[in-house]
Amino acid sequence: MARPGARDWYKDAVFYEVHVKAFMDANGDGIGDFAGLTERLDYVQELGVDCLWILPMYPSPLRDDGYDIADFYGIHPSYGTVPDFQKFLDAAHARGLRVIADLVMNHTSDQHPWFQASRSGPASPYADYYVWNPTDRRFRDARVIFVDTEKSNWTLDPARGAYYWHRFFSHQPDLNYDNPAVRRAMLDVMRFWLDRGLDGFRCDAVPYLVEREGTNCENLPETHAILKEFRAVIDREYGGARLLLAEANQWPEDVRPYFGDGDEFHMAFNFPLMPRLYLSLRLEDSRPITDIFTQMPPIPPACQWGLFLRNHDELTLEMVTNEERAFMYYAYARERDMKLNLGIRRRLTPLMDGDRRRVELLNCLLLTLPGSPIIYYGDEIGMGDNVSLGDRDGVRTPMQWSRDRNAGFSSAEPGRLYLPVITDPVYGYEAVNVAAQTRQPSSLLNTMRQLLAVRRTSPVFGRGTIEFLRPRNSKVLAYLRRLEHETLLIVANLSSAPQPVELDLAAFAGVAPTEMLGGTTFPPIGPGPYFLSLSPHGFYWFRLERPGDGDGPYGIEGTAI
Amino acid sequence: MTAGSVAVLPPDVERQLEKLTPADVVVSVPTYNNGATISRVVEAIRAGLEKHFAGVPALLLNTDAGSSDATTERLGDAVLPLVRAIHPAPPGQLATVPFHGVPGRGAALQLSLGVARRLGARALVVLEADAVSIDDEWLEGLVRPVLEHGADLVMPVHARQRYDGTMTNLVLAPLVGALFGRRLHQPFAGARAMSARLLDRLAEAPWPPPGRGETDLWLVGTAIAEDFALREAPLGPWRVESNTRATDLPTMVAQTLGAVFALMDGYEDLWRRPADGVPRPTESALPLPPGDPGRIDVGRMVGAFRRGLSDLGTIWEQVLAPETWGDVLSLENEDLARFRFPDELWARAVYDFAVGHHHHVVYHDHLLRSFVPLYLGRTAAFVLATRARDAAAAEAALDATAAAFEAQKPYLVDRW
Repeated sequence: MARPGARDWYKDAVFYEVHVKAFMDANGDGIGDFAGLTERLDYVQELGVDCLWILPMYPSPLRDDGYDIADFYGIHPSYGTVPDFQKFLDAAHARGLRVIADLVMNHTSDQHPWFQASRSGPASPYADYYVWNPTDRRFRDARVIFVDTEKSNWTLDPARGAYYWHRFFSHQPDLNYDNPAVRRAMLDVMRFWLDRGLDGFRCDAVPYLVEREGTNCENLPETHAILKEFRAVIDREYGGARLLLAEANQWPEDVRPYFGDGDEFHMAFNFPLMPRLYLSLRLEDSRPITDIFTQMPPIPPACQWGLFLRNHDELTLEMVTNEERAFMYYAYARERDMKLNLGIRRRLTPLMDGDRRRVELLNCLLLTLPGSPIIYYGDEIGMGDNVSLGDRDGVRTPMQWSRDRNAGFSSAEPGRLYLPVITDPVYGYEAVNVAAQTRQPSSLLNTMRQLLAVRRTSPVFGRGTIEFLRPRNSKVLAYLRRLEHETLLIVANLSSAPQPVELDLAAFAGVAPTEMLGGTTFPPIGPGPYFLSLSPHGFYWFRLERPGDGDGPYGIEGTAI
Repeated sequence: MTAGSVAVLPPDVERQLEKLTPADVVVSVPTYNNGATISRVVEAIRAGLEKHFAGVPALLLNTDAGSSDATTERLGDAVLPLVRAIHPAPPGQLATVPFHGVPGRGAALQLSLGVARRLGARALVVLEADAVSIDDEWLEGLVRPVLEHGADLVMPVHARQRYDGTMTNLVLAPLVGALFGRRLHQPFAGARAMSARLLDRLAEAPWPPPGRGETDLWLVGTAIAEDFALREAPLGPWRVESNTRATDLPTMVAQTLGAVFALMDGYEDLWRRPADGVPRPTESALPLPPGDPGRIDVGRMVGAFRRGLSDLGTIWEQVLAPETWGDVLSLENEDLARFRFPDELWARAVYDFAVGHHHHVVYHDHLLRSFVPLYLGRTAAFVLATRARDAAAAEAALDATAAAFEAQKPYLVDRW
């Protein structure tokens, strides 16, 4: 229920994460482009989401799928041109859709002209755009993030004869945010896209902007100060309705400062919650979810968590304990190919062994827990992955539109596609595609559309408080969401077997719960425990309204037909 | 599209029929957990046959969807020749029983047709097992036109208060009337009588698939499309006591409007003809039943419409054509006294929903349920426009609505 014009539109919004290269190829070169994405905006609109999140779209050598930006002011030639982007953006806005784009603030590609100029030596005007050091012995308390590929955060550049700092791949040198010129340059980049109407940025890898000796170089106060400075400028110049969404894969107490006092990021991803959804489901126990909420600090009223089940990266397990991680690997990634760094590189439906009920249950939680949901393209139809592809490419394959050639994604020769379409018998495009699921009323796609449509009917999902009911049967997760006079009750069975549950709803005695997805009115709540039975992985979304809370009878119900 | 050949009857039904002589009238009562009301309905049938059709060979047919209460035992009280049958009920309809209260009603109708033809019946009457307002005049009203006046299909017109049946009067009847080119007062009435001639024709046709709710409408549409003689019979009030019918407005709307839309999707040949605006077949004004017309809360209805604009606007925007959406947005809804919903705009809105359903613009169930606030808005406008006026003015308003649907039908065909 994104409200046009509302400054806090993101609190009601559902986001849809999409790769330009993966969604639709309009020019037949085998790579998705903005013209193709524009063609498919009707689909995005019909799905019922509010805002597209576009993964990196800039010119890049694509050694890290575009997160290695070589020019902040352009569009990668494979995806089109800046005018193509503008047409796309205008078409999205015409449909009431908003658009945010990835922006990598922490680093650039080593091909970026700033870095090439910086390599030439201290005399270059860009000499201090990056973090240089004569040795590799500074900031030794900082961990190496990509442990599978990188041994150190420093790499020697023969041209300059010095080491440069990089928290990610060695071809991604970190920008030096202690340099005011870098901060001004990055603000100018943001202005360029916001001037074109972009609704905000998903800011990549923000904890690492500033480095200080003797620290782990993450989440430093100096980094927060810079981010607040950026937010203030954007609010002042663009009226306060442009979104800044932080990617800060950190523990809750470390993520919380990224909201500041409502003066830093509007939103941040809830990394700690995500793996616990999977953990709870596999353990058939609600406690991993309820426990993480006890550690979740309150956030400023204007801020919002971004919730997700999967995204373009591996299912990251950095935010779980070693024991939990071992269990997750055991449960969800039994084959070695499925692991990457500290995570699991699989899509949602294969993670659930193709079990439709579990996929729907996880989506139920995604759409009803506090925050704004983010859906990864293709997960709404249950697309599969290809773990034999390198890095994280296995979850970045072409969108499966139909059973036509190349899944309807492209008219190119199959060998020219940027990645092969999924062709396995279970998840291949002939079995899993948009066209078929559109026609099938009970398909996952249509179920997702229904869930999203029902979610739109109440602001409580995006804005309400949460209160866990903690029934004796811990296989059942039950929580109340409240906003002003409206209360919703969500009950979810984490078990693969039918479950009974008794809920203490005495405070609502006299209320007859209305199930929101089917519109059925359930028996009234009495003073004693309220009994429900749930099918395997079944769930209910109830609206709890006291007689007189909402509308009374219209006087025509009994004789309407 | 066929749900099975009507010529094939279940073996247990065949065995029962072997022992019976031909019957001129077959009265079919589909049931599903109607133990509380079935005795009353059967008694009205017995009394009606005895009073009006003494000496006419008649038979009572019960097709049951798998009742778990005393329904089928209580049928034994009937002092009529009785054939019992079980008809298949799709699992989905057992969970959410369709509008007429009997899962698998299409199969029940098909089975009834088979039995009536096997017995050489001149008339098949279908009655509802939960219609407790039935009296011994209903059979007379439904059957006599078939047996003696050449009617092929007789549909009831129940006496109703002015603001009863607003969904029927403002949506279903004008929509179905415009589609079929023939106005009907109550196209969703469950009772009806059919001639042998119509039964023979229907026996040749592919029936709608099971599990959907459009069989009743398909019967009517087929009869109209092929120029069978259709009559409407004035009957008394219609009141049901049921444990199985939906009682909430959104579900009722979704079931009935969904049935019309499903029929439109599956049987374009029945409706893609120009409406000719044939006047309603009943000629005399219907008597209003006694009693209080009840309190209508127009303010709540307009409030629901207003909330629909804010909460469902994003859905309506997808379903309605841009011009329709713009016109709906511009309706004055702050000042109750000035709230109006023009017929022409209303007809376009309903047609836009039909087109949206056809093209799967949004999930069907949600599309249908999102229609409710629009319907409440239109109903409020109708009440506001007619509550200070006499019954004739209210009838004239409904005629104008029907005429608007007929006039706008090309709009529907163009957008389809």
